[in-house]
Amino acid sequence: MIGHNGSVDMTASEPVGAVMVIGGGISGMRAALDLADSGYYVYLVEKTGAIGGAMPQYNKVFPTNDCSMCIIAPKLVECGRHANIRILTLGSVLDIAGRPGDFVVRVRQKPRYVDTEKCIACGQCSAHCPQSVDDPFSGHIAGRKAIYIKYPQAVPFKYQIDAEACLYLSQEGKCGVCAEICPPEAIRFDDRALEEEIRVGAVVMALGFQTFNPAVIKAWGYGVYPNVITSLQFERYLAPDGPTSGVLHRPSDGKPVRRIAFLQCIGSRDKHHCGNEYCSSVCCMYAIKEAVMVKEANPELEVTIFYTDIRTHGKEFDRYFERARSETGIRFVRSRIHGVEPRGTRGDLRLHYISVQGRQVEEIVDLVVLSVGLETADDMVSLADRIGIQMTPDRFAAISAFMPVHTSREGIFTCGAFNGPRDIPQSVIGGSAAAASVAVLLSGARHSLTRTASFPLEQDVRLREPRIGVFICHCGTNIAGVVDIEEVAAYAATLANVVSVERNLFTCAQDTQDIMGQQIRDRELNRIVVAACTPRTHEPLFRATLRSAGINEYLLEMANIRNQNAWVHGFDQQTATAKAKDLIRMAVAKVSGLRALHPLRIPITPSALVIGGGVAGMTAALNLALQGFDVHLVEKTGQLGGNALHLFQTWSGEHVPRYLDGLRSEVVNHPRIAVFYHSTVVEVAGHVGNFTTTLRGDSGRRKTVRHGVVLITTGAKRYIPEEFEYGKIPKVVASIEFDKLHMHNEARVARGTSFVFIQCVGSRNQERPYCSKSCCTHSIQSAIKLKKEAPSRRIYILYREIRTYGQRERLYNKARELGIVFINYELHGPPKLSRERDGVLVEVWDHVLHRPLQIQADVVILASATLASPDASDLANLFKLPLNADGFFQEAHAKLRPVEFHVDGVFVAGLAHYPKPLEESISQALAAAGKAGCLLARKEIALEAYVAQVDPGRCDGCGLCIEVCPYRAITLVEYEDEKGVVLKSVVIDQVLCKGCGICQGTCPKQGVDVAGFTCAQIEAQVDAALDDTVAEGT
Amino acid sequence: MIYEVKVNELAEEFGVHRNTIRNWINSGLLPAQEGPGRRYLIHWEDYKQLCEKYGREPRLIPESAAEEPVVSRTAVPVPAVRLGATAGLLATLPSQIDICQTCGSCAGACPIAGVDALDPRKIVRMAFLGMDEELLASDWPWKCTLCGKCEIVCPMHVEIVQLMHRIRARRDRATVPLPLQKGISTCLQTGNNLGIPREDFVALLQQLGKDLARSVCPGFVTPIDKTGARLLVTVNSKEPFAEPDNLTWWWRIFHAAGESWTISSENWEGVNWGLHAGDDSVMQTLARRMVDNVERLNCTALLLPECGHAYYATRYALERWFPAILQRLKIYSVFDLLLEYFNQGRIRVRPVSDKTVVTLHDSCNYGRKSLKTFGHGFFAEARTLVHSCCTKYVELVPDREENYCCGAGGGGWTSPFTAERVYHGRIKARQIRESGARLVVTSCQTCRDQLAQSLCREFNLNITVCYLWELVADCLVPTEQEQP
Repeated sequence: MIGHNGSVDMTASEPVGAVMVIGGGISGMRAALDLADSGYYVYLVEKTGAIGGAMPQYNKVFPTNDCSMCIIAPKLVECGRHANIRILTLGSVLDIAGRPGDFVVRVRQKPRYVDTEKCIACGQCSAHCPQSVDDPFSGHIAGRKAIYIKYPQAVPFKYQIDAEACLYLSQEGKCGVCAEICPPEAIRFDDRALEEEIRVGAVVMALGFQTFNPAVIKAWGYGVYPNVITSLQFERYLAPDGPTSGVLHRPSDGKPVRRIAFLQCIGSRDKHHCGNEYCSSVCCMYAIKEAVMVKEANPELEVTIFYTDIRTHGKEFDRYFERARSETGIRFVRSRIHGVEPRGTRGDLRLHYISVQGRQVEEIVDLVVLSVGLETADDMVSLADRIGIQMTPDRFAAISAFMPVHTSREGIFTCGAFNGPRDIPQSVIGGSAAAASVAVLLSGARHSLTRTASFPLEQDVRLREPRIGVFICHCGTNIAGVVDIEEVAAYAATLANVVSVERNLFTCAQDTQDIMGQQIRDRELNRIVVAACTPRTHEPLFRATLRSAGINEYLLEMANIRNQNAWVHGFDQQTATAKAKDLIRMAVAKVSGLRALHPLRIPITPSALVIGGGVAGMTAALNLALQGFDVHLVEKTGQLGGNALHLFQTWSGEHVPRYLDGLRSEVVNHPRIAVFYHSTVVEVAGHVGNFTTTLRGDSGRRKTVRHGVVLITTGAKRYIPEEFEYGKIPKVVASIEFDKLHMHNEARVARGTSFVFIQCVGSRNQERPYCSKSCCTHSIQSAIKLKKEAPSRRIYILYREIRTYGQRERLYNKARELGIVFINYELHGPPKLSRERDGVLVEVWDHVLHRPLQIQADVVILASATLASPDASDLANLFKLPLNADGFFQEAHAKLRPVEFHVDGVFVAGLAHYPKPLEESISQALAAAGKAGCLLARKEIALEAYVAQVDPGRCDGCGLCIEVCPYRAITLVEYEDEKGVVLKSVVIDQVLCKGCGICQGTCPKQGVDVAGFTCAQIEAQVDAALDDTVAEGT
Repeated sequence: MIYEVKVNELAEEFGVHRNTIRNWINSGLLPAQEGPGRRYLIHWEDYKQLCEKYGREPRLIPESAAEEPVVSRTAVPVPAVRLGATAGLLATLPSQIDICQTCGSCAGACPIAGVDALDPRKIVRMAFLGMDEELLASDWPWKCTLCGKCEIVCPMHVEIVQLMHRIRARRDRATVPLPLQKGISTCLQTGNNLGIPREDFVALLQQLGKDLARSVCPGFVTPIDKTGARLLVTVNSKEPFAEPDNLTWWWRIFHAAGESWTISSENWEGVNWGLHAGDDSVMQTLARRMVDNVERLNCTALLLPECGHAYYATRYALERWFPAILQRLKIYSVFDLLLEYFNQGRIRVRPVSDKTVVTLHDSCNYGRKSLKTFGHGFFAEARTLVHSCCTKYVELVPDREENYCCGAGGGGWTSPFTAERVYHGRIKARQIRESGARLVVTSCQTCRDQLAQSLCREFNLNITVCYLWELVADCLVPTEQEQP
């Protein structure tokens, strides 16, 4: 019996506290990390020689334009060094036997031919290997050796041999030079495949995707004309660590590129040529991103994107699109290109298309980028078949919208693009959601198989002279492309106390962590300077490296020579190099004076506060309760259900009210969940692990609850249209109202023969430049239902872009098949409505015929926007959380931390984050619950050690700091000294203090210092900055 | 506003030859005044109208006109289309129109998209919106060559060609383009499109046979109405009418192969314009005549008519209306028959000249349309045959199912829309020029006429065009049995 969230009756026996995650892409990694962090031992099975999946191949990611490698590298390293994750590379799952809670998985690992224990990744083997083959990692635009590492930041950072390419292995003992040359004698030509049976309680399938191979459709000329490339190849051309170091040339002749055309929907929305009917969901955004990137680097380039519908439905996507269109000069043409033809023999390509106005246009371009779609690889389909899980007609895992990470086989979960094409944040959410669902199944086995990481004894550096190691990062070409690293390194070596300087391609890569540890031990370093990027993303990684090398993690200083230097002085290499030196000199000066710090450890209150009793809130609450944590669920109305109370079915046609009833009764009846109706949060005190929140009920009665984490699931509200004669003509209704009329078969619907839906009412305009994401699907579903009830009904959908992303595209196809008329009004302006006899006359222009159309409508349905909840700003103030420009909660990081905030212990899910359909809300709620569960599963948490400390000798209790402290962490106390004199001083709550330093700046007596940023340390840094013995510009 | 233009520039812009531009100017299609230095003076309005006619985005835009919004509600005073007033009858299946994504692939692929401000996407749209009357009145579906390029690129596989057929079929017969009407009625009345009397036809065939016997095929007698012959052969009426010698290429091949064959003295027409006119009953009648001949002469095999459309129409008609006869009658396409002779060693060839660069033009009917309707397109067969007859071979780009139409299909060669036919052919002409070929081989009589008689001249193509069977006949060498 499976309930909501998949709780399973585990009376049979104790479940196994280990989990297998199949697939080492971002989704699988996230699931593995969350599971390992919340008390489960994880086997991470990766098909290739290194984890990372598709992300390492990307140059940048949308919509943040973050360097992909920069944000994934810390996660790779975290997986690689996690005490409770075992990575099985070159692995494939043969079959799965057993039952939920106790599976036996047979895994086969292909031979690597390199002993990973011995390999030091020196690269000599690869340098001497005579055999070069096409490198799939680069999309075959570059070569690699038969012995290779998948990419420079690979985890595990160990070489592997491609048996098919290797001369020794494929040609009976020929060659073998790597074995001769390998210093640690790590080559093992006699390596054999290993089969292993692994006992786990649950399995997470994060099988990922492959990109569509456009060579199968001749018309694209892919594989025939060298200047036709895929978007993935284009990423590699743009990537600083790619084969061309980020410089774009025409592949055919190396000439500069002047005109680029992106062709959308290659291998997507194409029933005829490849059978992929679905929309791949990510291509519009990645094409815009690639176009923006290349255009920014080469402003004189002419870049055109040929599209059918621009599908920028995600958070901040529409803004990104609008910026690309209006500011970067990228041309968007609504026309699907039918094929690519060569012009002449020199590599020019001819595109022949029809303009929006219906006229022929011919263009010659240098480069055609095919925006290839995502699909499930054949071997993954057969794996799914072997395991016995159901698939959709589009060859993705079949999932229920209500259980978005559960496969059809109990105990086997799924996440990432294997659940349907999706972007990185959705995949990350899926990973966390799968982990949360596993945690419910295996809650009884938590911590039964994990080991605690042990760190070497920390050496005491107080009495030792500083011995500083400086690590300078190239960050691909992010830094090295601007700053003269060699010169900077030479300079760093001359600074006081510096005993070692290293340069690294990516200092955050696994191999560099090993080198750093080695250097600390070998050269007895006791302080480290990393000159690279921002501590915000990377400090935790380097701290962990210091810990495992046996020195205090706070003896680290980062000099941000990328964001604050290379990125802002891109056009002035000399200045950038000089500034890098300054920044490193300052960091060295500061690090010399750093002291070991030890974070405060505090116990956690193992309960959660969930604010908002919609589906997201209930899902999160139930998941946490089933994981074994107490939950306080706050709902401002007298009823649980939120916006879902207005929904009838999911996009896949599942019945929402029935689901909602079930979920509600589970929540209400769960002993660990306390529901507070008619309640709002009025006061918050405390911090991660220990919050005290005051709620106010409808009678004004206050109640205080204590909890360790907070989940914000406050939902959204709907837009009341002001346009299209809404409220003036009774036959014009909003979609939510129409659903009710439709359900009750009200006269207007029952007798209606002509229905007009108008999309984007209140969305995607100047005031709200975002897409409400679910309205296209919703209107199409209603239209299909109307049409099926009475095929003679005439139904028109007036739209701007149809955004039936992913497998929803089938609905759009179905609707057209039924004869529903779709009219794009964007090109000509909004439709006009007026009364006509007893109906409504809708006037609109046809986007194909360029002629005015008149439709006599019985009912006009407005697909109105989803707006941020008006309560959001109060909550944001209480918890000190940011909102985006549209009033939705702004998560910590759009890509990799989609349910967290920078404020620890607070999470977000559902419509409070951004408009989304039900299954995405559920998925995100599970992810938020999973993240919260990770925290609560720990007995205690270590707080940041950067907090203010009072020097009692200097503080005279003037109390100036008390006023300015934004966290109310400072209080005034009186005490008697030995002589009985009453003295005053302040004390600072070490938990409440966030180390912001305002007190330090305010104190006239230098009586307060923030650890790690003491006046003396900052002075040393300032002195170094102003050191006039350093000549300008050297 | 007056522009000074060079013929060259205009030709490049429209993708046509200089001669075509001069023709347009001479015929008044493009009013222009001759200026000094081989330049012409053209009014912006005239130029714009020419662009409109051929559906092209104007390249020269005067500054005053550039400000004008490209699409505006008020610019064009067109009456509104009232939707839902009448239900469209033209399209009956969702696969014909409903599933259209309006992505524009079809129109992008169509060489005459934009002509008369219409294109395949608009036609599909009009049918979808029930604008039947306008569609039936429009000439565009008759200017369309039914080549199916639009269909092959459609991501949703909308049946555009079928829709065009239906539009043609529903037009009042009196308004079907006159030459088509005339050909059909003559054929129905006389047994061939050109009304050649039986006696003349028989006399001609006999004379040709005698000539052949004297020249290269000693002992040859034209087998007219030979009962019990294995293979029945049809004739395209334009050959006895205009190019009778062309008939003998096949005869030489039959002679060399030792084939037992015959031509009927009546109802020998291979052409079937019922297909172009969208007239199923004509298609059926003409096919029945062929079946009758087969039965009368007791033949066991039929060489499907050579011309692309005729092959398609006959095969389609036989499969649809005469499935029974196909149980006992073996049907050959030109490729099947020639390959059979090759494979059985009944004919042998020696390549013509090793210097000439040869290319093959895939006929739409033998190629992508056959692939779609009958499940097989004759791409490989045609190449095998051409390869064995020549040594320097290049492909047109694109080729096979993606090939461009010659521009004269769908009855275009006979219909009155000459300007559009030539305009359509510009892409074919460009393909040929870019390939560098000097000899273009094709297996369809319409394609051959369009290439040899129209495009060569209009686009100054320095090429020779020949039939596949012409090439084979010219390369024939005596087989071992024949050698003394």
